[in-house]
Amino acid sequence: MVLDYFLRRLGLLFFMMLTLSIFTFSLSYLFPGDALSNLSGISNTSFSQTSELQEKYHFNENYVSQYFAFLERISSGDWGLSFASGDNVFNHIVDLFPATLELSLYALIISVIVGVPAGIIASAYYKKWPDKLINSSTLAGYSMPVFWLALLLIMVFSLQLGWFPMSGRMGLLYEIPPDTGFILIDIALAGFPYSGMAMIDAVHHLTLPTIVLAMYPTTVLIRFTRESMLNVLEQNFIKTARAKGLNRAQLIVHHALRNALLPVIKQIGLQFSTLITLAMITEVIFSWPGVGRWLIDSIYQRDYPAIQGGLLAVSMFVILATIIAELTYTLFDPLSRNQAHGKV
Amino acid sequence: MAKFNLFSEESNKSPLARFWRKFKSNHPALVGLWVFIAFVLLATTAPFLAPYGVNQQHSDALLIPPSWHDLGDVRFILGTDDLGRDVLSRLMNGATYTFGLSVIAALITTVIGVLVGTFAGISRGLRSSFLNHLLDITLSIPSLLLAIIIIAILGPGLMNTVWAIILALLPQFIHSVRNLIVEELNKDYITAFKLDGASNWHVLSRGIFPNIYEHIVVIFTMALSTAILDIAALGFLKLGAQPPTTEWGAILAENLGLIYLAPWTVGLPGVLLFLAVLSTNLVGDGLRQVLKERKAD
Repeated sequence: MVLDYFLRRLGLLFFMMLTLSIFTFSLSYLFPGDALSNLSGISNTSFSQTSELQEKYHFNENYVSQYFAFLERISSGDWGLSFASGDNVFNHIVDLFPATLELSLYALIISVIVGVPAGIIASAYYKKWPDKLINSSTLAGYSMPVFWLALLLIMVFSLQLGWFPMSGRMGLLYEIPPDTGFILIDIALAGFPYSGMAMIDAVHHLTLPTIVLAMYPTTVLIRFTRESMLNVLEQNFIKTARAKGLNRAQLIVHHALRNALLPVIKQIGLQFSTLITLAMITEVIFSWPGVGRWLIDSIYQRDYPAIQGGLLAVSMFVILATIIAELTYTLFDPLSRNQAHGKV
Repeated sequence: MAKFNLFSEESNKSPLARFWRKFKSNHPALVGLWVFIAFVLLATTAPFLAPYGVNQQHSDALLIPPSWHDLGDVRFILGTDDLGRDVLSRLMNGATYTFGLSVIAALITTVIGVLVGTFAGISRGLRSSFLNHLLDITLSIPSLLLAIIIIAILGPGLMNTVWAIILALLPQFIHSVRNLIVEELNKDYITAFKLDGASNWHVLSRGIFPNIYEHIVVIFTMALSTAILDIAALGFLKLGAQPPTTEWGAILAENLGLIYLAPWTVGLPGVLLFLAVLSTNLVGDGLRQVLKERKAD
């Protein structure tokens, strides 16, 4: 049963990756300009270079063999050269992706720590003042454009109060060798005398972007948790438990939470895709050296190989995160493996 | 489980009248509706209402703060920007772009989404499986990312943004409409209707749509709030509307360099953006609440 489900999910993953790769491949034809230079990242070639490239990219053959050549190159890490830097796109992505991932991860952790308990409190005090307070502030946070929030926080905390720096990842005083790409881990690994100070500096730089990025997923999680809790609290087994004389705390902790938090787990995983998109905007505002800012810059510069590679990497990550979220959800909740279960 | 209603008064009003009565009792949603209507009016009549032209420059009045400030000038209620353009007039005209275009984009999405969603809902077998898989892929990619991909292909620009947003909103919309239709198709009254010999068209037009159009309005409000946020975000990233277009996100991006000198030029477009999205969400939440309550009756 479980195996069957896993195989079906894997099939879906395969199908998604296939479509994604075909789409990415066709992008080099969809983008303006010469398809060969869009693929390779080398423009203004001489005659001999052109024929060499045509040979390498199977350019004189049909689209199918071109596509397979494309797949082969993608899997071997040859993603073409960036127009802007002349460097391999894959190396850029490997350098930049950890920064985005780090930011998104911390934002996700914060949104879970704040969002889920807030949702539970709101549902426990349904239609009383804590619920109303949480609900209205959630609605406000939900409607707040992320870039405006970022600018407001910069105006207050960086320009007026001067508590936090407004851009970058690290003070210029410190030079951290990028081993893992995760700045906090790198600082701990580097182990130089002032690593404590460097750590504080890095956390200072992280604070504002993380808050900005965490805002939207937090509100989504609050709303979702509250909704899910309210649904469960309406069920008959809760009424039975209440009739048996359980108090509200027992009711919520022992009976409601276990059932209500299952769908929340899935929702947490699904937040990753939203986070990566919002991270693009956040990175642009806070000059965070991540893959999102690089992708937006590539669009400004019409750097087609870079756009292509960036999109492939980001979408692949989003799809993987979604599938993994669904799989973990099924591990926890046997009912969801087969929708036909339990239905009359 | 049906709930007892002890003091039940027979209420045989039409569903729409009951709908409005319930909606009216939800005050935040009602306020949201009024603000929403105000934005619609502003979006259609802004050029006539605005005190100055959009690109009219007052070289004697550069960077004047809003009128409640000590240095403010009552001629320019919300102040001026670095080129001496009246912020109020620009913001009013911005409603046409940000809000008006979002409404149009959401409406087009609704039309296409309902058509394709209906088709996906009533189709069976391989065709439906293929459509759903395709939807699953695009659904896992967030709308803004999808819009950025489409912009990367089409190139920056306001009209391209609108197309990109329509295309980016569609998967979610189709998915929701499809789910509604499938859910409704499985109900007994539709089965009875089919056994009576109703054709597909009859089932849809007489059976399903009268029962789901309110839900489609709710989906529309969700699409609209996403569209406003996305149009503004793309404008802010300089991928959408280009300055001097008065799109709110573009105004914000244009004045970013003035954030220290003239914070009102950055803060005010955001306030309007926030209000527009908030009112849309309030109306949407109110509608959803009413639908839920009416179902419980």
